Amino acid sequence: MQTFKVMGRATENLREKAKKFLTKQAHLPYVGPISLWIIVFVFAPLGVILYFSLLTIGPYGQIIHTFTLENYLALVKVGFAKVFLRTILFAFGANMVCLLIGYPIAYFIVRHGGRWKTLLVFLVILPSWTCYLIRLFALKTLTDSSGLINSALLSLGLISSPLGILYTPYAVMLGLIYTWIPFMVLPIYAALEGLDPSLLEAAVDLGATPLRRFFTVTLPLTKGGIFAGTILVFIPSLGEWLVPLLLGGAKNMMAGNLVSIYFIKAGNIPAGCSIATALTALVILIIYLCMKLGGEEALERIV
Amino acid sequence: MRSWKITPKVLPTLVTLFYTFLWAPAIVLIVLSFSNNKYGIKWEGFTLRWYAHIYNNVGVRNALTSSLFIASVTVVVATIAGTLAAYGLYKYKFRGRKFLRTSILLPITIPYIVTAGALLVFYTQVIHIPLGYPGIIIAHISFSVPLAVFVVLGRMARIDWTLEEASTDLGGDRLTTWRKITLPLLLPAILASAALIFPWSFNDFTITYFVAGLGTTTLPIYVFSQLQYGTSGPVINTIGTIFITLPFITLLLMNFLQKKEVT
Repeated sequence: MQTFKVMGRATENLREKAKKFLTKQAHLPYVGPISLWIIVFVFAPLGVILYFSLLTIGPYGQIIHTFTLENYLALVKVGFAKVFLRTILFAFGANMVCLLIGYPIAYFIVRHGGRWKTLLVFLVILPSWTCYLIRLFALKTLTDSSGLINSALLSLGLISSPLGILYTPYAVMLGLIYTWIPFMVLPIYAALEGLDPSLLEAAVDLGATPLRRFFTVTLPLTKGGIFAGTILVFIPSLGEWLVPLLLGGAKNMMAGNLVSIYFIKAGNIPAGCSIATALTALVILIIYLCMKLGGEEALERIV
Repeated sequence: MRSWKITPKVLPTLVTLFYTFLWAPAIVLIVLSFSNNKYGIKWEGFTLRWYAHIYNNVGVRNALTSSLFIASVTVVVATIAGTLAAYGLYKYKFRGRKFLRTSILLPITIPYIVTAGALLVFYTQVIHIPLGYPGIIIAHISFSVPLAVFVVLGRMARIDWTLEEASTDLGGDRLTTWRKITLPLLLPAILASAALIFPWSFNDFTITYFVAGLGTTTLPIYVFSQLQYGTSGPVINTIGTIFITLPFITLLLMNFLQKKEVT
């Protein structure tokens, strides 16, 4: 009898513990699947490129599984370094132009949008819902030497021969700005929209000029939006490969083009992985800087 | 003082230029899709023959079917997974919650080209998933879940959770509460995220291109292959018109769903 009682109590105890454990783990059915998914299909592939970036290929293109820093040493070589420098320059330039144009646009929509506000915002969002390959093709058609812009300028007599916009660094910048500017306008718009108007009134009451009010009140308070926009424009620009491929030509190649060449054309997976890893490191550095300068808000504003 | 007077004029000019810059290429593309010019670069009279051409083109039709199939599967899986994850993140405090939140965002903060390459190596060298539909759909789901999670989380912050408590108090079990209370409350956000995910998956080029392998052609991949011949401008113009009008259809659909929600 005694043994049964003990066993009974033990099971009871166990059941209690199991129940406690289950209530403590109640979140698992909801977040478990997604966590597993992220580990397998997001973290693992990123780990894999890090691993493969340390390998090399043999004479027949087979992957040799011995560690080497060969690929990374190649990155410092003049050719690669130049491409990386150009990538940073293009992405940074595009980001700054997007900011300089995007801020006034967002400001205009918030302050003067009135009943057109929603429409104006949607006109900024909608292009980003179109396949960007198509948008780039449209931009290419327009700026082509026999395209609309050149024909118009020629027939107006403003130029005597077609402007060669395509296949220049300017074309790449234009493409980057055209593709990513909506993502600069939107977070800044959200930040400006959330600005407490009484703070602006207070600044006026205290005698601030419009310019001073902008730089001491509006701008610091919309910092989060600016850095969120920077994350959303700078980072995809760094990884861009279609814009330089379609508009820039071989002379204006960016780091993303090296990745695609090594992976798809040359079949040198380790070299492609080392460039992708270097790009990721660059991206992490920029996110870190943006979060440090823009605060937590920068990341919150992205979503 | 005079400089202040011109500011109100500078701003509207900039705004006009900005919207022209953003929309002119798309509008020109749509107009040229009706042009008789065989390179599709200038106006030479109205025609519908390019539309007839893509309508009768088996390549285009197969690519469209593939794209629609991939986007549909992605929408269903990603919205379910995303809604569950958002619920878990919102309702429970657990270890690693913040880390999970950031990790979910990871796929959309890393450049596409890096993810594309990483998945290609992972599929072909490590887990040996066949390239094509399975690989593409897995990739698209990874990318779409963040959208669903954060759209649904946004809605969760605004709904009245006492309704859920009331249901439990009145003896409703977990499943009934989900079905009768939680799901209907979240439905607008779930549909909104579906409306965002569908075009995202339908439009994706970079990642799909890397993991598609040889046999699978989605509509953007078809466009890319046509682009490389350089002689199919009109065909791309017509397909492009479909892509440009897609967001408007999505928008109308979202608007319709919202109206339905109110009544």
